[in-house]
Amino acid sequence: MNNTLYGPKSNEGAWLWFIKAVTGLLVIVILFIHLIVNHFVATNGLLSYADVVRYYQNPIIPIMEIGLVGFAVSHSLIGLRGIILDLKPTRAFIGVINWLFTIIGVGAVVYGIWLIFAIVSKGTGS
Amino acid sequence: MSEVSNQSPVSRALKWFDPRAHSINMIGFILNRITALGLTLYLFLHLFVLHQLAQGSAAYDGFLSMIHNPIFTFFEVLVVTAGFMHGLNGIRIALNSFGVGIRSQKMLLILLLGIAVLVSLAFAVHMFTV
Amino acid sequence: MSTTKWNVTFKIFRKKGEEAPHYDDFKLEVDPDEYVLDGVERIWAFHDRSLTYRHACHHSTCGACGMRVNGTEKLTCITPIRDVTQDGGVIRVDPLRNFTLISDLAVDMGTLYTRMDKVGQHSVNSDAKEAYQIENRPAGPAEEGVDFIRLSDCIECGLCISACPISASSPDYLGPAVLAGAHQHGIRGDEQVFRLADSEDGVWRCHSAFECTAVCPSFVDPGERIMDLRRQVIAEQFRRLFSGSNAKKTNVMEASK
Repeated sequence: MNNTLYGPKSNEGAWLWFIKAVTGLLVIVILFIHLIVNHFVATNGLLSYADVVRYYQNPIIPIMEIGLVGFAVSHSLIGLRGIILDLKPTRAFIGVINWLFTIIGVGAVVYGIWLIFAIVSKGTGS
Repeated sequence: MSEVSNQSPVSRALKWFDPRAHSINMIGFILNRITALGLTLYLFLHLFVLHQLAQGSAAYDGFLSMIHNPIFTFFEVLVVTAGFMHGLNGIRIALNSFGVGIRSQKMLLILLLGIAVLVSLAFAVHMFTV
Repeated sequence: MSTTKWNVTFKIFRKKGEEAPHYDDFKLEVDPDEYVLDGVERIWAFHDRSLTYRHACHHSTCGACGMRVNGTEKLTCITPIRDVTQDGGVIRVDPLRNFTLISDLAVDMGTLYTRMDKVGQHSVNSDAKEAYQIENRPAGPAEEGVDFIRLSDCIECGLCISACPISASSPDYLGPAVLAGAHQHGIRGDEQVFRLADSEDGVWRCHSAFECTAVCPSFVDPGERIMDLRRQVIAEQFRRLFSGSNAKKTNVMEASK
């Protein structure tokens, strides 16, 4: 029988769950708009290159899309980490996962922001 | 509980997806988990593919014409279905977390999954007829 | 009791020691209003004295007879045969999931009882000092006008843990019964219980499958309690963040041996 006392494990469970819940709700809202514009506004179901560049000239849109990337990546990686935790990994393993996911997450968001600015700049005659 | 820990992570994970000997609530859990994994995969694929946008009009519009066929459209519908299921299920879980709708679990699950299916059908009809 | 007789086949899970698990079939003539546990007992009494199983009160108070009947967790003392099969049918009886098997239909409930101890729900035979203190176990309401809440209906039968998909994949997950016990005990006055609830093996492993509530025979509703416990933990975390205070170490339970 396992006699170890349950000492406090890493104390971030509450905050990560809270962020996952909030980002989930934000993703639902922004994604809904994102879907409508990308599939229902366009004439053939998908925006062409020119449509996309034009759409991104409205300053609200890059802000919204940066939000979407940030929230979606956060929600997805926090959720994935939770699924891994459900399998009771060793402390060492979850330590590696923490680093890996942080790097992937930051990388994906930075890449997304770069891409968004690249698209915006295409429309300003660069 | 040590018998559980003797099993490999893979066999333990596979137990999540077996709905036998569980109530209908388990369907909600299973669908949420499967759609979570599928959508995560799609998210990173989507980010990668959008790189085409940065390559300019020729690259992106070329890419668009490549995916404007029934097989890709079918997968897009699948992604939207997964998105709606995961999103609506998530709303159900968020409501439960605030103590709302716990008594009406099963009804809520069926209702929200029903909505997800209907929306997906509408999306599919739209995408296959434009 | 009616005088109808049904012919029912009991398919009983068997496993002793290191042998491979298998099912033994026993054909019984039963009254359909009898309970599944009655059938198991008759098998032990008249057919196979080597069958190992647990039973005690026979009226859903002790929680000893939890098993899986045709796959679903049930208290076999209150599960009428008529509810789970028909004349000529089969009743498959398995031990609970997610517990270490001792033999046949009996599982080791030790981890559950130890964890209940750690969240302030002491059993009578607990080694914890608190369990013996008369003043910690009042016989009536602690305050005037307040309803006395006993062990909130939980009979520690383990059905919820057997049904929980996270208990299936993580042996250290405290489980619905224990978290319901922590909810009952309260986290605000007890740092130890707060940390257990707030840990990676606590409320954050719950994903709202609600399988626990679906099988609970005793109106504990562990699912809803875990939802409420989560809110309490988040509220407490916010409170600590903004008040700047560190953990309030009131009433800390002593380290277990």
